[in-house]
Amino acid sequence: MGPLIEIKDLTSSSDDGRKIFEGASLALSGGEKVLVTAPVSAGKSLLLKLIAGLVRPEGGVVRVFGEDIANLSGDGLKSIRKRMGFVFQDTTLISNLKVIENVALPMQYHTEISYASSMERARLLLEEAGFTGDLWALPGPLPLFAKKEVAAARALSLEPEIILCENITDGLTEFEKERVASFILGYHASGGKLLILTSNTGDEETFFRPGRMVRIEGRRLVERNAD
Amino acid sequence: MKLLNFLGRLVLERVKILLNVIDIATTSVWSALFRSNRGRSAVVSVLLKQIYFTGFEAIPIVSWIALIFGLIVVTQSLSILPRFGGEGLMGEILVWVVVREAGPVFASVIVIARSGTAIASELGSMKVSKEVWSLEMMGIDPLHYLVMPRVLGTAVSVFVLTFYFEAVSILGGYLLAGFGKNIAFGAYISNVLGAMGFVDAGVSLLKSALFGFIIGTVCSYHGLLVEKSITQIPQETTKAVIGSLRLVFVTDAVITFLFFM
Repeated sequence: MGPLIEIKDLTSSSDDGRKIFEGASLALSGGEKVLVTAPVSAGKSLLLKLIAGLVRPEGGVVRVFGEDIANLSGDGLKSIRKRMGFVFQDTTLISNLKVIENVALPMQYHTEISYASSMERARLLLEEAGFTGDLWALPGPLPLFAKKEVAAARALSLEPEIILCENITDGLTEFEKERVASFILGYHASGGKLLILTSNTGDEETFFRPGRMVRIEGRRLVERNAD
Repeated sequence: MKLLNFLGRLVLERVKILLNVIDIATTSVWSALFRSNRGRSAVVSVLLKQIYFTGFEAIPIVSWIALIFGLIVVTQSLSILPRFGGEGLMGEILVWVVVREAGPVFASVIVIARSGTAIASELGSMKVSKEVWSLEMMGIDPLHYLVMPRVLGTAVSVFVLTFYFEAVSILGGYLLAGFGKNIAFGAYISNVLGAMGFVDAGVSLLKSALFGFIIGTVCSYHGLLVEKSITQIPQETTKAVIGSLRLVFVTDAVITFLFFM
């Protein structure tokens, strides 16, 4: 089986015009746990956006599931994205949906599953994620940790083949980092899934024990051995 | 020359906005009519919430304004019509004023004030907090999930509220006509119904559905124009209100001209 993500000779710049990648290449396969590290604003989020097709590369190619993501639009892009699960640094839960509705939304939108089944599955996912709050609360006032649990449950609701976690442990206590990592690692252990983590602090290395470490350095993606 | 340049730019800007609004409107209709059933339960849930907020929760304020308006129209009619020997024209006056014009316009203005502002500011705040972006990342089309149910919900709500406004106004008028001037309820209602033609009722409901569609589309459009700054939310909300009012009144004039000239 070929790589799930293949980046070749990538060139891309940040919003403010700084060149972030130039000739960067990387191939990532199912079953891997990959940690991407770099200083703040050095291109980790840009890399995730390029993989999700939210930003088009200026040069080179980003292939996801064998498709050049820059050439996709509309339904083609949507069908790729629903095979990925994202946990964003600032969680971005839908503020006017209740906690359980946030998790059920991808299932209700992308599958033929009944409303009741989607809500039951959302409840189970939240339970697995360790969420102990009110399922029918709006997410706005929740503490950061609870928001991250909901975001993680939502990201895994469609059983994605690729999981992208943007600085997921930022702002959490050691205990909370351990819990959120254990939920995501539990899913990853179900086999064949590619987990990509970005980190500002290096904490992900401790809690997720990645098999591969990649650093954004000199506008390239430089591999370094995991300890 | 400078004035011509300014006017030219203004017209081009307006045309560009109008084309974008039409684009959103057609995409909404297209996704409502021709999209597969997938995503239906998520979208229907947004649609029902929109109808509840825009239609059902507006009933108290619509009732109050409609009742007062009915009283005003009947008071004015009762004070003016006898001077010309036109006491029998009460039904016609109510149909011309309430059914043809005031019903759709008042329902629309109330919906713009309550829900148009809410739609624009809610979508604007979802843009600022990257919620719209996160929907895209989940493969959820914001036009299909956020805009289409708001446009349809607003159209359905204005349609129903217009009918309700007209009924309450006419009944409100009876409170004065009936109790003040000792007119029997049956005679009053048959006078109104006798004056109302199919075109009057049809145009009124056509206007209301169209106005609701315009309000939903224009307010969604302005909400989605917000980018990263929270200060853009009130600015775009104001533009949404002004834009909706402008388009509703222009459309009203055009329809009135087409059907009644």
